[in-house]
Amino acid sequence: MTQGQLDRLKRAMWVLSLSILAIPFVFPFLWMVSSGFKSATEIFGQPSLVPRIWRWTNFVEVFEYQPFAQQYFNSLYIAGLVTVLTLILSSLAGYALARMRFAGAGLLMLFLVSALMVPEEVTIIPNFFLMRWLGLMDTHGPLVLLPVFGPHGVMATFLMRQYFVALPKELEEAGRMDGLSRLGIWWKIALPMSRPALAAVAIITFLFSWNLFLEPLVFISSLEKFTLPLALANFTDAYGLPLWHLQLAATSLAVVPILIVYLIAQRQIIESFAMSGVKG
Amino acid sequence: MRKALKSLTVSTLALSLATGYAMAEDLRFTVWTGNEAHLDMLNGIADGFEAKHPGTTVTFETIPAGDYVQKLTFQLAGGNPPDLGWMFEDSMPTFVAAGAVEPLTDTLENAEAYDLADFSDPAMSLWKEDGEIFGVPFSTSPFMVFYNKDMFDAAGLEDPLTLAEKGEWTLEKFRDVAKALTKPEERFWGFEFKDGQGYDTRIMHAVMPPIRAYGGNGWSNGECGFEKAEAVEAVEMLHQMVFEDKSIVPPGEQGDYFSGSSAMTINQISRASKMPEAGFEWGIAPLPSGPAGEAPVIGQAGLVVFAKSDNKERAKQFIAWMTNKKNVEVMAQFFPPARVSVLESDAFTEANALIPPEQMKHVAAAIKEGEVLPSHERAPQILAAMKPRFDALWRADADVEASLKAICDAIRPQL
Amino acid sequence: MATADDTSAMARHTRVPWLTLKRRETIEAWLFVSPTLIGFLIFFLGPLIAVVIYSMSEWNLLSGGQVFVGLANYRDALAENPDFWHVIRNSVIFAMGLVPMNMALALILAIALSRPRRGVVFFRTVFFAPVVTSAVAWAIVWKFLLQGEGGTVNQLLALVGVNGPNWLREPDWAMAAVIVTRVIKMVGLNMILYIAALQSIPRDYEEAARLEGATGWQVFRMVTWPLLAPTTLIIMVITTIGSFKVFDHIYLMTGGGPENGTLVLAFYIYEQAFEFFNVGYASALAMIMFVIVLMLTIVQLLLRQRGAT
Repeated sequence: MTQGQLDRLKRAMWVLSLSILAIPFVFPFLWMVSSGFKSATEIFGQPSLVPRIWRWTNFVEVFEYQPFAQQYFNSLYIAGLVTVLTLILSSLAGYALARMRFAGAGLLMLFLVSALMVPEEVTIIPNFFLMRWLGLMDTHGPLVLLPVFGPHGVMATFLMRQYFVALPKELEEAGRMDGLSRLGIWWKIALPMSRPALAAVAIITFLFSWNLFLEPLVFISSLEKFTLPLALANFTDAYGLPLWHLQLAATSLAVVPILIVYLIAQRQIIESFAMSGVKG
Repeated sequence: MRKALKSLTVSTLALSLATGYAMAEDLRFTVWTGNEAHLDMLNGIADGFEAKHPGTTVTFETIPAGDYVQKLTFQLAGGNPPDLGWMFEDSMPTFVAAGAVEPLTDTLENAEAYDLADFSDPAMSLWKEDGEIFGVPFSTSPFMVFYNKDMFDAAGLEDPLTLAEKGEWTLEKFRDVAKALTKPEERFWGFEFKDGQGYDTRIMHAVMPPIRAYGGNGWSNGECGFEKAEAVEAVEMLHQMVFEDKSIVPPGEQGDYFSGSSAMTINQISRASKMPEAGFEWGIAPLPSGPAGEAPVIGQAGLVVFAKSDNKERAKQFIAWMTNKKNVEVMAQFFPPARVSVLESDAFTEANALIPPEQMKHVAAAIKEGEVLPSHERAPQILAAMKPRFDALWRADADVEASLKAICDAIRPQL
Repeated sequence: MATADDTSAMARHTRVPWLTLKRRETIEAWLFVSPTLIGFLIFFLGPLIAVVIYSMSEWNLLSGGQVFVGLANYRDALAENPDFWHVIRNSVIFAMGLVPMNMALALILAIALSRPRRGVVFFRTVFFAPVVTSAVAWAIVWKFLLQGEGGTVNQLLALVGVNGPNWLREPDWAMAAVIVTRVIKMVGLNMILYIAALQSIPRDYEEAARLEGATGWQVFRMVTWPLLAPTTLIIMVITTIGSFKVFDHIYLMTGGGPENGTLVLAFYIYEQAFEFFNVGYASALAMIMFVIVLMLTIVQLLLRQRGAT
């Protein structure tokens, strides 16, 4: 066998083995979408990736079954709001921790870092009573406040700090010469230079909020205030049985747009997760 | 972002408006139905009440059935209590024991032309505690056998209704026909537990009808009944049907009666609404009788006023209004009544467009005789303790008697 | 006008010696961190302290009464309630199944996908896709695929003559199913962390080893693996802690069943607090979870220190 043949064989093996490994990663998505088009009876019939009859009406029924459009919008605007707030707060705090020398900084860091390790399940019970006291039960308030100020917000702060630390000092000094305040430097110099970090925080935060489940489960009770994950889990008939065809149609509607965005911006998105993970 | 803020302000506005109305007695009423026909009917009943009490409004709020008790408890504990609502039979003792629901006896006794005695005694037993009424059943629905007549005809078998009329509808007969109708290679079963959930959320609905027909009970007066001889025999029969006859849809399998995969199931008559689209001839019959004779089982749902409500008196009046004779007749189109006068009227047997009067007679009889499933103030814990042990029972090689004993051992501390 | 000028001048005068540049910087810095810090105190640290207090009370959400009972809830969990140790056992099995499988697969994928060549981007995208997907959607789809005989996975297995088990109805298979589907969901994250680490290893090291006649496996054993050690340690700790936090996956796929076979700590806390409304007992469980995670973190720090020296 020549070297060329050997290389081609190696490559074929590489492609083949990765393709086999990829099956359980791709298959659920394909099956989800295809089953979303099937009828309740066909879904458990002979397995076939292509529905015998394409039931487009499933996708109409999804919206009739519960206020799905409203729930979709809820998830979008909450994730948007959480993202914007997290960006502002984490970059402010991250900037101070990275570029300013102040008494108590070290202690503060240690204090904050401890939060990264504490699961939400530990604090959710007292937060339930806190939110009740604040009159925020069955509102979107907890779904904004807890991600922004909880461990996720701290993680974002550290990510921003990590990036700010590496920025060259000279630019800030130039800014100070021009008479900029600290806030001005943060806004006009530090932030524009930190686009990759901001993008990373934005991406991870958006997805974090978008996929949040425990908090909505505990704090939201009205159908029209549900977020998507809650809504998806709620496709059961009046007696608690899954309505698989509708559930899978709705799940497709929730997942496919995110997947499309992911496919377009996969490099950026994967890098964002890499940035947030490495520092852990 | 701006849109988001806008919607936030709008919802705050809506919130403050809502609290503003609360002053003018807006009654919040939680239900677990999202069905529009149900809600239209409820709103119609509320309209009459609002006309009598100007300034009062009634708003129905749907909470999905699966989360109903949890979300309701959150609202009660979360400082956002509804005024009144529907209540599942198995949650009722918990709410009564926790002091979360209001006594209604005074209001009902003094309500105009109410005739409290018209409610049948067995139907009220669950909703009373120490002589005080805490809830009024609005739906008293017996469990009936639904059967696929086409399948019986094709197999040349007499259907359950015919057998019942002849007095031959027994558990043995039930087992025989179920076995005869099962066609494993085509994935047809003789019988499916209620909604296919007999191994999950409907354990009690699966095992209680035969246990009662054998003369047993799940538990009563703090004593566990599952390990007693009657219950063991009954559950052994079911176990053999699942794993030897293979005539009952087994765990983890889909054999939906309503789409024609099983010849029989047990369910409440509200499920008849699913039948027109099923595409086969069907009928309903009483539960098969056993060594202890006939033992109809009913499921109930009631109306309660929450102790945390700010408008208790008005809410109690609304319950009296909703369950007066006229409105019980109105509700009878969806919810079988507990008022004997309505039950005995022709209006009831003819009220159901889907079920012929001769079958409705069996429904009415079952309501009058039927017993509710065993209940308990610690029902959630009992069910949680039972669930894993029942999982162990539903295995082909399980020792039924030992499993039932294990169930009793697990729930005894709670009883 | 004049007075205003005077006072501000005075103020400036008196302030100057106090407000040194350093102090000014400190105040500004605290202002910058204050929104994050205040929110953190209210929504995180406060609740963390509260949960300690709750854990010492008998408290039912529905009836509302709160009674101080000391350590009774802890005694109940550790010594009286047999469910608790069953739950701990499940959580440990879950972690011991998930962590090694996740890390091994992540490393294999990372090695296969760390060098630039045609197709790498495609495969990376594929293996990472479940990470951006909602855990709820993922659990729903897999629960559907893993139904008993009618389920798609078993129907496909039947095509190749394998009689698949009733995945979510047998305790052991259910545990295996939730572990494997969780690994598939999350392995992409560890894969990219490993890829980043592999790419930061200078190529010369490996080439030098190869020139000395080392086989591929030897290069990996003697060069790559030791250099990956810090990354491996971090990944191990993150993944282990993550495995203790898994809630939605279990909630939706098995609800802790069958036979409590997948009842893990995070789900048990939720169930006790928000389904049985035992606030006190659930808080004690939350504290136990906190201690477990804390210990894991300390072990990690110790290991790191030992690795550094």
